[in-house]
Amino acid sequence: MRTRESSIFVKPGMSPREIVDAVRSLDGVCFTSVGMRDAGQSDFKNRHRIYDLATLAPFYNRMGLFSAECHGGARWHVGVMNRRESPFEEIEILRRLMPNVLLQTLIRETNMWGYRPYPRNVIEYVVSQVDIDVWRCFSFLNDVRNMRTVAEVILKRGRLFEPAISFTMADWATNDYYLGVVKDIVDLCGGTDEIIFCVKDMAGVGSITRVSSLIDAIKQKYPDLVVHYHRHITDGLAMPALLAAAKAGAKIFDVQEDSLVRFYGHSPILGAHAYFEESGIPVNLDRSEAEAAVQKVREWINFYDWAESPFKGLDHTVIVHKMPGGAFPSSFEQAEKGGFLHFMPAILKVMSLYNRIIHYFDVTPGSQITWVTCSGIVNKYAKAKGEAGVRHLIDLLTKFVDEKNVDFDAMSDEEKEELLTLFRNAPGDFRNLLLGHYGKLPMGWPPDWVYQSTFGEEWEKKIRERTELSPLDSIEDDDLDKLRRELVNHLGRNPTEEEFILYLMHPKDAIEMIEFREKYGEAPLVLPTDVWRKGLRKPGDKVDFELWGKPYSIELVSIGAEHEGLVHVVMRVNNKTRVYTVETPRAKKAEIRMAKTMNEIGAPINGNIWRIGNPERGSLKVGDIVHKDEEIANLEAMKMENAIVAPFDAQIVEICVKLNSFVVEGQLLFVLEKM
Amino acid sequence: MGREIKKILIANRGVTAVRIMHTCRDRKIPTTAVYSTPDRLAHHVFMADSAVHIGEAPPIESYLNMEKMIAAALQSGSDAIHPGWGFLAENAKFAQMVLDAGLQWIGPPPKVIAALGDKIQAKNLAQKANVPTVPGITDVANVEQIRKWMKQDKVHFPIMVKAVAGGGGKGMVKVEQKEQLAQAFSQARSEAMKAFGDDRVMVEKYIERGRHIEVQVVGDEDGNIVHLYERECTIQRRNQKIIEEAPSPSIDDDLRREICFTATRLMREIGYTSAGTVEFIFDSSTRKYYFLEVNTRLQVEHGITELITGLDIVGIMIDVAMGKKLPFKQSDIHPNRWALEARLNAEDPRTFSPSFGTITRLQVPHGPGVRIASGVYEGADIPPYYDSLFMLIITAGADRADAIRVMDRVLSRNLRVEGVKTLAPLLLSIIRHPAFKAGEFSTRFIEENMDTLISMFKEKNSEDEVLKIARYVAEISALGPQPWM
Repeated sequence: MRTRESSIFVKPGMSPREIVDAVRSLDGVCFTSVGMRDAGQSDFKNRHRIYDLATLAPFYNRMGLFSAECHGGARWHVGVMNRRESPFEEIEILRRLMPNVLLQTLIRETNMWGYRPYPRNVIEYVVSQVDIDVWRCFSFLNDVRNMRTVAEVILKRGRLFEPAISFTMADWATNDYYLGVVKDIVDLCGGTDEIIFCVKDMAGVGSITRVSSLIDAIKQKYPDLVVHYHRHITDGLAMPALLAAAKAGAKIFDVQEDSLVRFYGHSPILGAHAYFEESGIPVNLDRSEAEAAVQKVREWINFYDWAESPFKGLDHTVIVHKMPGGAFPSSFEQAEKGGFLHFMPAILKVMSLYNRIIHYFDVTPGSQITWVTCSGIVNKYAKAKGEAGVRHLIDLLTKFVDEKNVDFDAMSDEEKEELLTLFRNAPGDFRNLLLGHYGKLPMGWPPDWVYQSTFGEEWEKKIRERTELSPLDSIEDDDLDKLRRELVNHLGRNPTEEEFILYLMHPKDAIEMIEFREKYGEAPLVLPTDVWRKGLRKPGDKVDFELWGKPYSIELVSIGAEHEGLVHVVMRVNNKTRVYTVETPRAKKAEIRMAKTMNEIGAPINGNIWRIGNPERGSLKVGDIVHKDEEIANLEAMKMENAIVAPFDAQIVEICVKLNSFVVEGQLLFVLEKM
Repeated sequence: MGREIKKILIANRGVTAVRIMHTCRDRKIPTTAVYSTPDRLAHHVFMADSAVHIGEAPPIESYLNMEKMIAAALQSGSDAIHPGWGFLAENAKFAQMVLDAGLQWIGPPPKVIAALGDKIQAKNLAQKANVPTVPGITDVANVEQIRKWMKQDKVHFPIMVKAVAGGGGKGMVKVEQKEQLAQAFSQARSEAMKAFGDDRVMVEKYIERGRHIEVQVVGDEDGNIVHLYERECTIQRRNQKIIEEAPSPSIDDDLRREICFTATRLMREIGYTSAGTVEFIFDSSTRKYYFLEVNTRLQVEHGITELITGLDIVGIMIDVAMGKKLPFKQSDIHPNRWALEARLNAEDPRTFSPSFGTITRLQVPHGPGVRIASGVYEGADIPPYYDSLFMLIITAGADRADAIRVMDRVLSRNLRVEGVKTLAPLLLSIIRHPAFKAGEFSTRFIEENMDTLISMFKEKNSEDEVLKIARYVAEISALGPQPWM
């Protein structure tokens, strides 16, 4: 064990070249902690809240990490959708608590933090506004062209770009293949001095000799390239693989708190540290800080047992089905919910055969495409012919892949015909993949029969439509002003820049989150996790917290019995008693129809409709013709009259309000048909 | 003369009734409140010594029901009626009924109310007293007449259509262009009918960028008329005042003296008694002022005059009704402070859409320089049937800047209303607006600056934020973990 004044060797504010030099000159290796991102993604469905993760920050700040991966991947979307936390708030909090630590994101080239390729102007806009130091960027197709815009913006900002290759074990995924990808990357980045290069083994499939051989080959060709090895532990062989990679010349390794390690994430930081040091490889780490962080996790990790998958356990067969990290257990959960859990072995088998027909990497969004496509095919066969059908499907594919070596012409006519309908119900994203919408496939386009199978009679037309261009060159720019106006319309106010970026990535979920936050404020940030998830459970339970520098306390006094779908909750908020009426799912919703379209006339303000029609022609009824600017009703509020006029010549289709009834602002009064 | 008043029925509700009861309490005169069905548990009912139910929610069945009002006074042993403002305050017929029932009427004589309540007669009286009036025509039966007058006198839009019997912004419609004329005309008539039972309207030239200045006058039965200086009531929304101040920042001392003496002269000619207000529209570009109307009643904004003069106008009205002489001369009146009033209405500050409901939490402002009249208490309901004003906030200071500072403190720190939306954010934006601070505004200030004013609304404060968090805790405590988590 070494003792040092401080283990900190890189810091935010350093230039990419300074950071790269600092890593190169390091005696031994260093760690990236994925405790704040990928650890939670792999085994806890990204539910770890910044409230808890922030408790690790003071230790990270002194630990001497290369970086902390705390951003990106699916954490972004789950934050918006399920934790109701904004990734911008998370960065702000972590910057404050660990100013010494490089913050790292994971970005999916043109897919960024969403699930579709975004146009170039959106990428430029978003990447330029996110305060992240290290940008790990991967392509599930290893189509380096797709990284260009992200790389350009990051290099221009003086932040560190960390291009990653997606790694898998397959006969076609040779050293030569990967060296070709590395060359593209080095060319894109203008050399090896201002980047960190990453091998992303997202499924945890790299065998010890394979990893050793690949990294050795890369270091032979690019001796100055700093290599970062990202390796999941699914196969149970991660730590030996890390050591092999280190011996082959990799410098940075992804690890996480031992107490966070489950089955699909990364190696334990203390274990990895001990293993490296015992093997004679020094690790830049303040171990006592790392130990303290490992202990700290135990204070809150039990609040997340609900988020863990019931389908636990390592799985060495990952080397054939290739399902990565968190996708593996969550697919089992989906299968259980969907009632096809008993077909999971068959689906995994089909996946292992599928990935020998169509070649790309099983990582987002590829892993989702594989899963939906393969589980769909198995379910189709199961529905039509039961288990016998599924067995038949596997026999057919096994014969095609193993016996006939994916030679379509070697199959019988009957088998050909069957293969030609195999992908007919494949999901839209699979079709987009075949059409080149995500970029080029690593081993070229699948054979024609796959197109025939997917598109039927249109297959030749579809092949003609297939693009060789990167989405960066084929997707038209979005109209950002128009999108911003859309959001303004949803919110009824100007959004912040950050809200707008959330909206660009995940429009529907962003709006839900913004509305949630307008209603519940900073609840996601200030409430401890047990209260966040379960509330206060018995009278006298209370939660103390600070908000904007002032102390607050919320204490439960009582929860009333449910009556007609309503429950009264009595609480003391800073000693003042308050009663909240809570609607249960059984609450009767008084549905008020609101005017939404041009043809629907709504109330301009709250008030009483005291006249339908106007003094000249009396009252109006359905079927009457009204003229532009003719008064069709009058609303009285606080003794002021408000004429409601027809916006155009029209026939009355529906009168949706009774005379002398009270209406709320926006409530539907008339449906008109334009004449 | 010396008539005694032993118990006063206040023919009103809410803030108005509460304000009058304050003085009655000071004077140890017992009070009777009246209430409609939805007001059964209203604040003014609790403040009174006795209370009488006078009918259902619609004003016409309760607070405008003259017979029931008189019966309530007799039944409760009251010997005088104070009408407050609004409802029956400027109804001459009611005033006469009160007197005919052998009760004291706390206000000017019915004849005076009738004469001045008719805008046409009032305008004639003003002209007779050499008070400048706004060009216009007084007896309008149809739209054609308006068109003819505009052509003849070369009057351009905008013009104002006003209920002859009107007041308080009701039955008043501004017309911007000729297409709107017919609709505005019929709207004004209809509103006038509804609010005052009289659909006659008159039409006047609209003074662009005008300011609204009024003079508070009090008079006794001996013919003493004293003015209590002017008030500036220019900040209005939809012709209803929401911020008033005294003195007026629009005029200098010479003009102040002139306007106040003009008002006194008019009221003396009329033979006015009790409290009343002469309203003027002031054209700041020409420095000309025109007579608008006389309000023959206590006004909402009387409080700022009370603060700058140290007098109690309600008390003066009671004294005058008892036949007492004014205890002061004009030369005794020395305003020595600046006062600002903000009307807290239960309305959406962006749309002015009324906001009814229960006031779930009420923190009434206090601290140096603050006077509050509140028509509600925590837990009270604001029913949808009546005016949305529920609290008058008045602040005072040595000068204008001082009064504004106190108001800022009150609106931004002290006041807290939950359960209904209020105008507070808008009121705060207005008093913080540089043009308001500089005293540069017109009656169109709010409509002209609405976007800026809204943009000045303070986004968040921790008090509101913690309640959002508490709501979340309440919901999750009751419902348990949610599927979306």
